[in-house]
Amino acid sequence: MKQPAWRNAAMLAPAVTATVLLFGGALAGAVDQSFTPPLGGGLDSWSLDNWRSVFGDPVFGDALVFTLLTTAMATVLAALLALVIASLMRRGSSAARTAAAFPVPVPHMIVAVVAVLWLAPGGLADRVLGSLPINLVRDQAGLGIVLVYLFKETPFLVLLLLAVMGRRLDEQNEMAAVHGMGRWARLRWVIWPAVRVPLGIGSIIVTAFVFSAFEVPLAVGPNYPPTIGTYALEVTQTDAISGAGEAAAALLVGAAASIAFAVGILALASRQRRSDA
Amino acid sequence: MRNSGRMSGALRTTVVLAFSLPFLVLVLQAFADSWTAPSLIPQEFGLRGFRDGFAGGGAGVALTRSLLVAFVVTAVSLLLAWPAARVIGERRLRHPGPVVLLLAVPILISPFAIGTGMTGWFVRLGLTDSVAGLVLAHIVFSLPYAVLVLSTGFSRRLRLSEEMASSMGIGPWRRLLMVTLPETRPTLALAALMAFLVSWGQYGSSLAISGGSPTLPVVLLPFIGSDFEVAAALSLLFLVPAVLALAAANRAGRVR
Repeated sequence: MKQPAWRNAAMLAPAVTATVLLFGGALAGAVDQSFTPPLGGGLDSWSLDNWRSVFGDPVFGDALVFTLLTTAMATVLAALLALVIASLMRRGSSAARTAAAFPVPVPHMIVAVVAVLWLAPGGLADRVLGSLPINLVRDQAGLGIVLVYLFKETPFLVLLLLAVMGRRLDEQNEMAAVHGMGRWARLRWVIWPAVRVPLGIGSIIVTAFVFSAFEVPLAVGPNYPPTIGTYALEVTQTDAISGAGEAAAALLVGAAASIAFAVGILALASRQRRSDA
Repeated sequence: MRNSGRMSGALRTTVVLAFSLPFLVLVLQAFADSWTAPSLIPQEFGLRGFRDGFAGGGAGVALTRSLLVAFVVTAVSLLLAWPAARVIGERRLRHPGPVVLLLAVPILISPFAIGTGMTGWFVRLGLTDSVAGLVLAHIVFSLPYAVLVLSTGFSRRLRLSEEMASSMGIGPWRRLLMVTLPETRPTLALAALMAFLVSWGQYGSSLAISGGSPTLPVVLLPFIGSDFEVAAALSLLFLVPAVLALAAANRAGRVR
């Protein structure tokens, strides 16, 4: 039975209204704050000073590069590791799958605490191994940040992949093998089309989260360079006059980068779907 | 053949241990009064971490506030998400893309950015440092997950079952209880779990709008670099509701 359009609109209204009011209002608030002159002004006054000082600040440049690098490393490594682990775990028992997925519901901050307890100088890893060959907590390369996100996000991607790696995919794979397809051809034409959508969507979520979150960099990241999130927090704490406006501008750059990445991945996926069809 | 099977089994065990065993250190550290290098186990067990963490009452209040906010956010998110998820899941829209994108886009934005943007409004509305303010800020991030997960539980098949029940004279409430809820229970449980966890672990937006009345993650973070025992004790408390919520969702989602 086809539902009338007004009924669908009425059913969408609560969620859409909440999103538009809360999310749209917050975004508008952040944009407004980023254009508010540092020394205040009338209701109609606006300026580009916050944006100028953010883009003119070499620390922001370093933060942007550092955030991009740690995000790219964490996402790519988590996706690769998830592919390997999912292909291994798909024949595992459900208890093993649940245990391997344990980090999924655990808040990021707890994973950061666990990382510090294991990896900080004098931590448990140091005691077990004598000493760690490299410094992973507060290291300038951000390896500690990447490691925490790998530990937290890989099981999430594995769960998404296992959802599509069922018996049907095994059967398709076996059928392709019977028809003489080699290992790489099967990977390209059977496995990849099945896993690329959940892997792509999962990677978008991971990228957006890593790019914007700042509890993990605050807990295990270096004092310098900051990430965009920690940069925004620092400017609000150190500059009472223009800090909020500059923080809003910096965070909006991060938001734009996350959305651009998501749109890029979706466009790529749709292009590949068209070329496969 | 048997060797490769054993190898895969060993690798699977390694993966399971690698992702679950590291958390044991939290329990040891939380109940350690003294644990210095190079010892592999604490020299002295005790409850100093919990005592110091709760000294002054800040952590206790923050824990209660976090729980209250997470439960309210979960309930409100599910109520708001249910009808929208139904429309999306039953594929009633000819072009669902824009609606799904609009409802999902908050996931992509930094919670600190959202919190920062909300601060100005909340100051004017008197919502800063309030539970209501925290609930509104967390809903921005819980609602997309609730809608996306819940929409997978609705289908044309479910609608057919409901229409069949309706043709048998079963009223809307009994239809909801006898057909819709049992059918959607696994996804409803998962959506509730996601909404709860997103609110429970929320740091950025909470920090931006509730400086004076913090949630548990906001209280916990400063201890990570300064006092391992307190950080571990508060982390354990932070972990327990998340694990209980997972267990409850698993139980509720199990199909009879």
